[in-house]
Amino acid sequence: MAYRVGIDIGGTFTDFALLKSGPAGSEVVLHKNLSTPQDRSQGVMEGLARLAELEGLEPGEFLARCDAIVHGTTVADNTLIEMNGAVTGLITTEGFRDEIEYRRGFKEDIWDVRLAPPKQITPRRRRLTVPERILHDGSVHVPLDEAAVREACRKLRMQGVESVAISFLFSFVNPAHEKRVKELVTQEMQDAHISVSHEVLPRAPEYDRTSTTIVNAYVGPRVTSYLERLVSRLQEGGYRNQLMVMQASGGVMTKEYIDGAPIRVLASGPAGGVIGSAHAGRAKGHPDLLCVDMGGTSYDMSVVIGGTAPAEAGWNMHHRYLVGVPMVKVETLGAGGGSICHVNNGQLQVGPKSAGSEPGPIAYGRGGTQPTVTDALVMLGILSTEEGFAGGSFRLSRAGVDEAFASIGAEMGTTAEQAAFDCWRVVNANMSQGVRRTTAGKGIDPKDLVMLAYGGNGPAFAAIQAEDLGISRVLVPKASPTFSALGTLVANPMIDEERSHIADADKIDLGKLKALWTELCDRAKKYFTDAQFPLESVIANYQLNMRYPGQNFALTFNVKGNASLHDTSFIDETLGARAIALFNQRHMEEYNHIREHEIPEVTGVRLASHVETPSPAAKAGFTAPRTAAKPALTRRANLGLGFRDTAIYKGIELIPGNEIAGPGIIEETFTTIVVYPGWTARVDDAGDYELVRE
Amino acid sequence: MSFELNHKLAARRDPLPTSVTIDPVTADIIRGAFETVCFESATFLGRAASSPIINSSNERNAAIVDANGRLAMGAVGTPHLTFVNQMETRWGLMNQERYDWGPGDVFLGNDPDHGGGHLPDYCVYGPVYDDKGELICIQTLQAHQGDTGGKDPGGFTLEATDIFTEGVIYPCLKLVHRGELRKDVFDFVIRNNRFATFAGDIAAMIGGVQFAVKMLEDLTRKWGSDVVKAAINHSIEHTERRVREEVAKWPDGSYEATVLIDHDTAGTKDIKVHVTCRIAGDQLTVDLTGTDDRQDLVGVWNTFANSRSYVMCQVVASMDPTIVKNEGYFNAVDIFLPEGCIAHPPPNKPAALGSFHPACEITEAVCIALSKVAPERSQPQLYKIGMPNAVIGFHDNGLMWMDQGVDCRSMDVSAVQGIDGWGSCPNALGSLILSEAEDAECRFPILNISREMTTDGGGAGQWRGAPGSLNVKQVLKPTTAMAWMVSADHPLRGVCGGDDAIPYSNHFEVGSPNERKIEHTAQALLPEGSVIAYQHGGGAGFGFPLLRDPESVKEDVLDEYISPGAANDKYGVVLTGSLENYDLAVDWDATETLRKTMGVDDLVRAAAE
Repeated sequence: MAYRVGIDIGGTFTDFALLKSGPAGSEVVLHKNLSTPQDRSQGVMEGLARLAELEGLEPGEFLARCDAIVHGTTVADNTLIEMNGAVTGLITTEGFRDEIEYRRGFKEDIWDVRLAPPKQITPRRRRLTVPERILHDGSVHVPLDEAAVREACRKLRMQGVESVAISFLFSFVNPAHEKRVKELVTQEMQDAHISVSHEVLPRAPEYDRTSTTIVNAYVGPRVTSYLERLVSRLQEGGYRNQLMVMQASGGVMTKEYIDGAPIRVLASGPAGGVIGSAHAGRAKGHPDLLCVDMGGTSYDMSVVIGGTAPAEAGWNMHHRYLVGVPMVKVETLGAGGGSICHVNNGQLQVGPKSAGSEPGPIAYGRGGTQPTVTDALVMLGILSTEEGFAGGSFRLSRAGVDEAFASIGAEMGTTAEQAAFDCWRVVNANMSQGVRRTTAGKGIDPKDLVMLAYGGNGPAFAAIQAEDLGISRVLVPKASPTFSALGTLVANPMIDEERSHIADADKIDLGKLKALWTELCDRAKKYFTDAQFPLESVIANYQLNMRYPGQNFALTFNVKGNASLHDTSFIDETLGARAIALFNQRHMEEYNHIREHEIPEVTGVRLASHVETPSPAAKAGFTAPRTAAKPALTRRANLGLGFRDTAIYKGIELIPGNEIAGPGIIEETFTTIVVYPGWTARVDDAGDYELVRE
Repeated sequence: MSFELNHKLAARRDPLPTSVTIDPVTADIIRGAFETVCFESATFLGRAASSPIINSSNERNAAIVDANGRLAMGAVGTPHLTFVNQMETRWGLMNQERYDWGPGDVFLGNDPDHGGGHLPDYCVYGPVYDDKGELICIQTLQAHQGDTGGKDPGGFTLEATDIFTEGVIYPCLKLVHRGELRKDVFDFVIRNNRFATFAGDIAAMIGGVQFAVKMLEDLTRKWGSDVVKAAINHSIEHTERRVREEVAKWPDGSYEATVLIDHDTAGTKDIKVHVTCRIAGDQLTVDLTGTDDRQDLVGVWNTFANSRSYVMCQVVASMDPTIVKNEGYFNAVDIFLPEGCIAHPPPNKPAALGSFHPACEITEAVCIALSKVAPERSQPQLYKIGMPNAVIGFHDNGLMWMDQGVDCRSMDVSAVQGIDGWGSCPNALGSLILSEAEDAECRFPILNISREMTTDGGGAGQWRGAPGSLNVKQVLKPTTAMAWMVSADHPLRGVCGGDDAIPYSNHFEVGSPNERKIEHTAQALLPEGSVIAYQHGGGAGFGFPLLRDPESVKEDVLDEYISPGAANDKYGVVLTGSLENYDLAVDWDATETLRKTMGVDDLVRAAAE
């Protein structure tokens, strides 16, 4: 038996997905245990020991048999949330000390003059400038003043700086000055972690690149030391292969690769869920998906088109800092089970404040006093107070819940039950509008998508939101509560990098482009080889970034897909014309128009390379005979048509072919699926749920 | 086209007729859905537009106006645009028969004398009818266009004395009739614009409106016309109630402020904006009586609708930000703009530059007046920049280029009680994304030399303004530069005892024998290699500098926001150690002594009172 393990660490639980492959086929085993915030690697080792136990193996033997351990970590996100990263300094071009503080003018709330600034990672005293200047064509306008660099290092040392970000204008065109400064900082500040902008994000403009480099410098030491600790524990435990780490781009790569730009793991957890969704959707014949993940504090939305979740580089704001590396786009709304219901000047509002898991909703019985979405679901009879909650770890209680909603009802002039129902309506509307805003940014009509719902609370709302959005089919995989872990198993090893080169598309320097793609191929070759992947298994997509003159943001497209590394035979004198045609096609898809009489410009080359690795085979189909499922009991519940006795089904008792006509409620171990009136749920051959609107 | 028309356009509108009583939750859900339509419409425009000022910098706005011409629900974009669009829509609404309104129509308006702002702010709008043919609402989209087909590229003419100099004027032009594009009209509009990208922009605006109208028709069908109308009424009434509740918390009285503009574009000095905010119970009246009305002023005429909007931008900033932005604000606040003054010009006055000044001085004066009742939210929402250094040249292929000078920089971010000024500009402008050196230098023969904040460049205060930045750039080819300088004699005013911001200043051909300070306006051909340097005024301070926490002063010195000299002279803080060694410390005894000699005790008493 061969093993691959996917691990995703969340705030409350660490999720595991074990892929077992043997002569008889493959199987996925899921497991959850509590996270260990003091040292998260400890929770990982505890879970691995539990998986070994389930397999009847000693932990060492189990780890020795693991072909791959793939890990999604939130350590970078937590560093930004808690703002406890490295003491960071910046060395930048003279005259441009304050770009990072200007934020290109962006403020998160245009109406609130009391909006507080984000904490500065590099306060002004630790932003030092040196004389140097490179022009847009890569020529040196002002030579680097090395004495000024050494003086800057002295000042940073005096301030106890542990991590240095280096970002010069147009370094992505000519990195010579940044490379030299890296050498000088290495000499002058021997223990410092160094982040260099042309390595972290080699693209314009300067704020985007500098911000990304600074965040990398800030979170880098913590990410690196955490991964080192985990690798060390795994090796001590008997694991012999490379630890693969999930990236926000949706691919995984080795720790050594991540060390070069640790920021790549930021926001990688949600990306894992989306990759898992894409895999499940593809297998079930639904390549175009709206993925919704409702957990305790947030509602995450993403779109999968054609079976893939493209990673977008550029204007990605995370925890109030711009991070420009490629990320699977996941929009977040403050609407989760813990979101607090309250009345603000006569308006009933839900969230964005959350009761979190401690104290959590009132129904958790841990001291929470403010009513939440989970409490509303208890009031509506959707969540049970009779059965165990969250995998049986505890039981929900109604004590205090009625009083809390009675209080809201009094303010709104209605009953407690109506107040709870109104909260359900409001959170539904918030989520639907959030989805519309997500799809609007992509020019997609939600009606054309299939919804895939996961996370502990997602399936309770999925069908009613789908109805609001005009969606007629919802998928709820049985493994949905551990989807991010499953996603790490599905994700392929991937390297997605770019190099800048700015030129009119009809005047491309073919030699320069070839050199840049070759440089990217060399890097991919090194890291895939180090990770012991045969080079012939590497699939390379050669891409260009292009835009029309005057546009700030470029579009990326393949000029040669599904190729080998170092296969640059497509670079010939026709490339410019082909690139223009492909760009116009992409522009039409994205923006519905092209500028017929304008020549677009190339802004960079990109190489997205990956290796296909074994994934759990997702089953599909409805070959089992259709049978009406038998409810285990009935409960008074309001699923939108007022309170009435509602059939309750136990997920563990359902078998492929079972059908449930709404209204009904399916109680799974870690989630609750609501089949709203007008909807029918079916269990497919894999045991997953498909909800269809009649 | 008269004062009378303006009063008609601004008159209070009735609620929509409906027999439905709506519950607040349903009303809010519908409002949210309508707001989302606005977001989708603005996003459509952003995605489809050709010009960077729309598709990258976000200078656009979407809103919904109801069938009675009230700002109904939903607004995405810059507040200064948000509060104008119902006025230009009303002109069309008042002339439905004349212009043959019907389902599928799309109109264009930009007329300063028919409810508009300045000419570049094109408003494209489409009516939404229910299945019975009743007009329910109107979707509007506004965007700032790079040109208006007037005398000068960009639509800003320093010496303009009438609107016709500035470009082509559209009171209400039908672009689409019953779903069919009027190609002759469309081509005419395109022809009257210098920029090749304009065709894509106006097509994107039409597409965005049509996209939204269809969604609004679907929503109206889903909820029913009467329910939607009841939801609009509820939302507007709720806002009016909340605004009045906020006003009722403020002490009754008259609160006045005068703000001066250095000069008009012809050099006439000290142009006055005077505001009186009268509070009586829950009624706020903003009265601009006393504002300059000299008819020979040039370039400082702000349209009637724009003046209302800029008043409202500051009123909104002074209130709870969760109050929904809609007509309820205008129902709750009376705005009086005397006929003939620069905030309510006679017909045919130029309008382009008035959107900068006196528009921003109106906002500033309202802020200062309201700072006496709502100090915790008194941060002026404006840009005191005059006209930034726009530089215009020609590529080798003969095509024109223009760097509008909307560069990344810090300006006018005043402190608010408890929070130092931060970021690049006041919140109201926080959705605009500013241009970066690397993007600009790839497009234009320009070299950006520096754009750092200037030490001591912000007004001192208990909370200090953000320092203004000094933007220095070099033109690499012969280039025409235009500027209108203000806020040098009369910089941004401090609030509640805070110091004023530093003055703006602008120098051409720096370091050459021809170096000169731009005092009023400039339109000059700069030789290759010329350096221009624009010192932005910073933000003003809030509260007395002597009351600032000495530790914060020390931190500011370490960060070089302020100098050691200013720490001593303005803040009365005595520091030991040195900035060079990062070992500054507050000498508390010496600071206390110094502050006493500077009169801190009187200020503490005054602050307590």
